[in-house]
Amino acid sequence: MLMKHVRLLVLTEDLPAASLSLAETLSFHPDLRPPTETRLETLPGRDYREVFSQAQARLTKITRLIPLTTPPRFAAVRVIEIAELRTLNAWLGDIWEQASRYEEELRRLDDAERLIKEQQTALENFADLNIDLRLLRNKTRFLEFHVGLLPREHLRQLEGAATLAGYILSTYMQQGENAHVVIVGPAGDKESPLAPVLAAAGFQTLPIPLELDRKPAELQQDFAEQRVNLAAQRQTLHQQLQQWGEPFHAQLSAARHTLLLAEPLVTLDAALRSAGHLAHLAGWVPATAVATLEQRLQQSLTQPFDLTSRDPRPDERKLVPTVPIKSRVLAPFALLVKQYGIPAYGEIDPTPLFAVTFLLMFGMMFGDVGHGAVIALAAIWARHKIPDFYLFGVFAGISSIAFGFIFGSIFGYEDVLPALWMSPLHNPILMLEVALGWGIAFIIVACLLGIYNRLAIGDVIGAVFERHGVVNLLFYLAFLGGGFGLAINGAFGITATLSVIVTLLALAVFQWQHLHAPTGEKILVVVIETLDTIIVYLSNTLSFLRVSAFSLNHVALALAIFTLADMMGSFGHVVTLILGNIFILVLEGGIVMIQVMRLQYYEGFSRYFSGDGHAFAPLRLRRESVIN
Amino acid sequence: MSHAATQAYLNTRISVMATRLFAPQSLDRLARMLLPELAEQFGLTALLDEQPALATRSRVVEQSLLHILLAELQILLRPMNAAERALVLAWGQKYALFNLKTLIRGKLYALDQKELRDHLYDLPPIIRLPHQELFRAENVLELLRQLESGQYHQIARQAREVYEKHREPFALEAAIDQRYYSTIVRHIMSSGDHHLNNLRQLMGAELDRVALLWLLRFRFTYHISPSETYYQLVPSTGVLNREQLLKLANLDSFERVLEALPAPLNALLNGCHSLTEVQQQLHHATRQAQRQMLIRSQSAVARALAYLMLREADLHVLFAIIQGRLLQFPQSTITAALELNEPNTNWAELRAA
Repeated sequence: MLMKHVRLLVLTEDLPAASLSLAETLSFHPDLRPPTETRLETLPGRDYREVFSQAQARLTKITRLIPLTTPPRFAAVRVIEIAELRTLNAWLGDIWEQASRYEEELRRLDDAERLIKEQQTALENFADLNIDLRLLRNKTRFLEFHVGLLPREHLRQLEGAATLAGYILSTYMQQGENAHVVIVGPAGDKESPLAPVLAAAGFQTLPIPLELDRKPAELQQDFAEQRVNLAAQRQTLHQQLQQWGEPFHAQLSAARHTLLLAEPLVTLDAALRSAGHLAHLAGWVPATAVATLEQRLQQSLTQPFDLTSRDPRPDERKLVPTVPIKSRVLAPFALLVKQYGIPAYGEIDPTPLFAVTFLLMFGMMFGDVGHGAVIALAAIWARHKIPDFYLFGVFAGISSIAFGFIFGSIFGYEDVLPALWMSPLHNPILMLEVALGWGIAFIIVACLLGIYNRLAIGDVIGAVFERHGVVNLLFYLAFLGGGFGLAINGAFGITATLSVIVTLLALAVFQWQHLHAPTGEKILVVVIETLDTIIVYLSNTLSFLRVSAFSLNHVALALAIFTLADMMGSFGHVVTLILGNIFILVLEGGIVMIQVMRLQYYEGFSRYFSGDGHAFAPLRLRRESVIN
Repeated sequence: MSHAATQAYLNTRISVMATRLFAPQSLDRLARMLLPELAEQFGLTALLDEQPALATRSRVVEQSLLHILLAELQILLRPMNAAERALVLAWGQKYALFNLKTLIRGKLYALDQKELRDHLYDLPPIIRLPHQELFRAENVLELLRQLESGQYHQIARQAREVYEKHREPFALEAAIDQRYYSTIVRHIMSSGDHHLNNLRQLMGAELDRVALLWLLRFRFTYHISPSETYYQLVPSTGVLNREQLLKLANLDSFERVLEALPAPLNALLNGCHSLTEVQQQLHHATRQAQRQMLIRSQSAVARALAYLMLREADLHVLFAIIQGRLLQFPQSTITAALELNEPNTNWAELRAA
């Protein structure tokens, strides 16, 4: 799709309205380069973004405590000025301050519960000791006791520090990240010298219950009651929180809506520059959408503005985004193409060709009515789990079914269905010839596309002399002609030989001229590269023999399974057939898939697809908030 | 593949980078360079920008120098395996921890958000701690809650105590430093046989320096008790191990500590009468150990770490010179500062050369 570079000059007060209009049209891809005019150096959207970010963070934190149950409803689109955003941010700040108290209270309850659990565990541990634990609760005349827990990683260091202070530290239990310890040392009138160390070590005192002489069951009952009490407190707190938050639901929903409307300007922040009251904004717009964009701006902006558009300059080609093909059928194939790269601007989108050739090769290599049907049905079954990709499986299955009819193969049986053409095993040589012919056609088409792509960006010399260009294609055709002559007449032929030599020389001379290296290195590189051209084209062509090799392989694997099944009893026969077919489906299906991808990426894309473009990502108005 | 082969790329990289380190002869020349020359040589364009305030220019320069160091760190990380990376990253995390300390202090004392942000280092994602949430915390309690739920939950209780009892966050910051060095020691102790001895030696010198300086400062400048002092120290992989630190922390005078030091520290610090002198000698000895490691070590990781430490020290020197120029200190003050930094260098000879 043809793109235009647009430049929009608006008054800064109109920026929120302009950003909203651009987002609504879904046709503006921001250009982040700073403008050439040096005076346009202020970042007018920075304050807006700061306020927005804080408001968004506050809303996220609040809605963690007061979940908004209603799905976001996108009401009327309106311009959000910075003053409104500031007011909203301040209000959210007040609400968060109040909500924060509830969160702190919940944290206090969690802490208390954790301590009770540790106490329970500690007392279970004390149960076997034959000492009066009540003594540990108090400071005696000569000794002071610290019973508690601390992070295990601080234990060793605290042990040394306690020794230096004249204390004895005994670890009686280690559980999770914590160690439970008893520290005993001399009592004094002043604050314990160990107190700051204990604070630094994150020591937490475990209170010893007052009535330790009671039965353990009673003590545990006490703890259980305390925990029930804490759970009740927590529930009450949640109810209070809910009651407190109830009146704010509508306002919070409105706040969410406001932030969604403010978001486009925040997204544009990096592309905005201004000087005084004049703001500058640039971006890429599909040529067909420029008029609509201008019309939309005229409707929404109250102040004058200037919108200019121009064609992308040659030096900007790499910056122009590519609008992807929108087709539900091609979408899963586009995903696979995207793994290699995104078409650069002006480059042919390989997705349709990729889809057709992929299906043809997959079907030919894995042609079986039964297996194809299983693949298609499995893909339909998984459509909810992989909604974007299931069609790929369906098409691959259909292709496999179609070739299954052509080869007369169903679950490996070659004699059930009448073949529309023939079974691959009946004439393997013919199959190999077909694959070779397919490969030659594939490589020629790939080279032609590569030549077209270079011509489309005005690179005429590249189209003629670069790798996989016109000269390279002529070499390939001459090489094929010679090869054909060798196979039929037993001689390469003078015309073919001369053509190969001339084209290779042309390629070598071109490379020589474009190499910047010492002469010795140039000779080495040119010789190797020329040799490489011959080897690459020969091996790439032969590489397509795998298309027929796998169709033969499919039949051969089925034969192997039938042979194994025939060696079993009737039950074993059925089990072997089922397991064998699963084996073929999973293993061979997977390998075929990888092989086809390899042929596409290596033999195809490397010839005509640079994949160094970037996708058109227009400014848009999100209909769903991130906090949901 | 042999150990030498797997480390070949990293070793070559380090050797190439090591040519960027300041030779002692170049320091005097650097100290005499003017701001435009410094800006040109080190690509510090912010130095030439007259518009912002001095403090802003200084911060931008500091940030630029930090970027240089961390960019080199990231280059050295690339050929390393996961464990080696973790060690070098643990060393580089000191800057993320500076940010964490700034954030905690800023929130505890309710500093202005903008001012707080200006004092944070802009770090690459690989070093950055997930402190964005901490920054967004709107009050101390929220900050404490976030600390408790994150990777720093171990220091959260201390932070709460600092807040609730209105204590000075010194102990908290000491705990962060302690965790930093303990993490590095843990990584070293779990490193492979090829690196263990060299890394222990390299970090041992650094940890000996840190432990001794902390010990002297805590005991005799802040007058902290032996037990609390000992608790804040990190046992070294060098000579100041746990037992040595227990013994030294219990001594009651500066001189007795220096006398009781094990070799080679006792010889190195013999005749020192002040903390500043000790600091200078230790700094010099550590730099020497790092240089030796960079030249002689069999372990590429130890060499990488030694290079980064030396480079960091060089960039500190450069920053000090730039600060001196920005504040328009006389040449003699800048030179004197450098002489204090490298006390064992013969400056008179260098100037004559």
